[in-house]
Amino acid sequence: MAGALRVSLNLESPVPAYRQIANDLRQHLVEERLKPGDLLPPIRQLAVDLGVHFNTVALAYRLLADEGWLELKRRRGAAVIARNAPRAVDRRQVDHLLRQLGQIAAELRSVGMSSRQISLALRRLAQGARP
Amino acid sequence: MTSASWSMMLVVTVNAILFHAMPRFSRPDILFAVTVPDAFVAGAGRALVSRYRAIVWSGAAAALAIGLLLPAFLPGSAGGGLLVMGPVAGNMLVALAAWLWAHRKARAHAVPPSDVRVASLVPRDTSLPGGTLFAAGPFAILLATALLVYTYRNGLPDGPGTTKPYGLLALGGVYVAMMLTMAVSMARRTRQIAVDGPAAAAEQRFRRVNALVPVLIGYAAAISMSAMTVESIPAFGGTLSGRVGFVLLPLMLFNFGVTFWMFRVGQGGQRTIAPAARQEVHGDATPDYAWKVGGLLYFNPRDPAMWVENRVGFGYTLNMGNVRAWLLIAGMMLAPMIASRLLF
Repeated sequence: MAGALRVSLNLESPVPAYRQIANDLRQHLVEERLKPGDLLPPIRQLAVDLGVHFNTVALAYRLLADEGWLELKRRRGAAVIARNAPRAVDRRQVDHLLRQLGQIAAELRSVGMSSRQISLALRRLAQGARP
Repeated sequence: MTSASWSMMLVVTVNAILFHAMPRFSRPDILFAVTVPDAFVAGAGRALVSRYRAIVWSGAAAALAIGLLLPAFLPGSAGGGLLVMGPVAGNMLVALAAWLWAHRKARAHAVPPSDVRVASLVPRDTSLPGGTLFAAGPFAILLATALLVYTYRNGLPDGPGTTKPYGLLALGGVYVAMMLTMAVSMARRTRQIAVDGPAAAAEQRFRRVNALVPVLIGYAAAISMSAMTVESIPAFGGTLSGRVGFVLLPLMLFNFGVTFWMFRVGQGGQRTIAPAARQEVHGDATPDYAWKVGGLLYFNPRDPAMWVENRVGFGYTLNMGNVRAWLLIAGMMLAPMIASRLLF
């Protein structure tokens, strides 16, 4: 496992804490910084380190387990598992995410980014670059 | 000068040295139990430390003068104890007042707590230092002594006024179990503040040394209780006298060594880390408002950490807002009382 694996949480963000944790973890998983067989810290340990309730971390782990990324282990946190890709495309979820992306693109245009800059930034993000 | 005067001088001096060193024990960016900017530590904070130390040593000098001169003006044994205890208590109060004064001054420069929290996703080693077998050592010592007692059970003294043969060993077992509970909870329920790099490594080292201390105290307790039990067996009476000290001395020296090491490395081991290596770390990830009585007590029910780094002195302290911390305190107070009641 790489050394600089971290998860961050912004208490001022309108995004719920468990979503922020799950989003960071998912990014590590998609970009294969976390590989099948890697162990994640136990729920209590990560909760103590982040200063959040144990249930917040448990919820984030559960979300990713439901998506097929993690296997939850009692008292030992979670292990990354090989995800059976490609999974059947969930049309509703894809539509929902694209709608969100559309809203973000509109916000970016409103702060002065051109369509070309937005598409370039999206391509970089899709290829695994960090924002 | 009487031996009481010498004792008073020693206590006052040690107290003054401890209070003098107190600001040095904390993390580099925590001063008088307040999270402050680096610029303050290097500038106005330095002057504040000097003034605080001047008050501490003035108080100690006044206490020594009163303690040594007053008996000359008030001859006779009446109030002798008070003449010794008075300066010690006075010196302690002056030092505490100096700390609270400096704490209040530093609070004006406090850094607001960060809204961003970061944690490592690399699981860390939460095992006990030396491993499970080493931690089980005190129990093995007590068990071996119990076997010895059983072997010589026929020659044991009986009747009122004699020590129950297994009583001390059982009490030792309760005490060792308490120390191990402390060590395990310290290894597992403390926050990792630095995420990676030398700062994180130093913090992990600090955590493991702190967890090792209760394990070794458990060894000291097991050896002492076993020695007292063996002494009560007539066949061994007197054979151990004086020799136990040779075993306990290294353990005591270790504790002195740990104190000195903590003074050198500071809380979280961060004073040995180059400032560039701990740029991401500021403070100890606990909000200032949760520290009460000048930084002596930590009370934060929203913080899941059971132990947090002490802001006054060194090592870890319990989060008094955590239910598990109260259970640990209750267990540590009740277990020896219940054991004593049942065994003696």
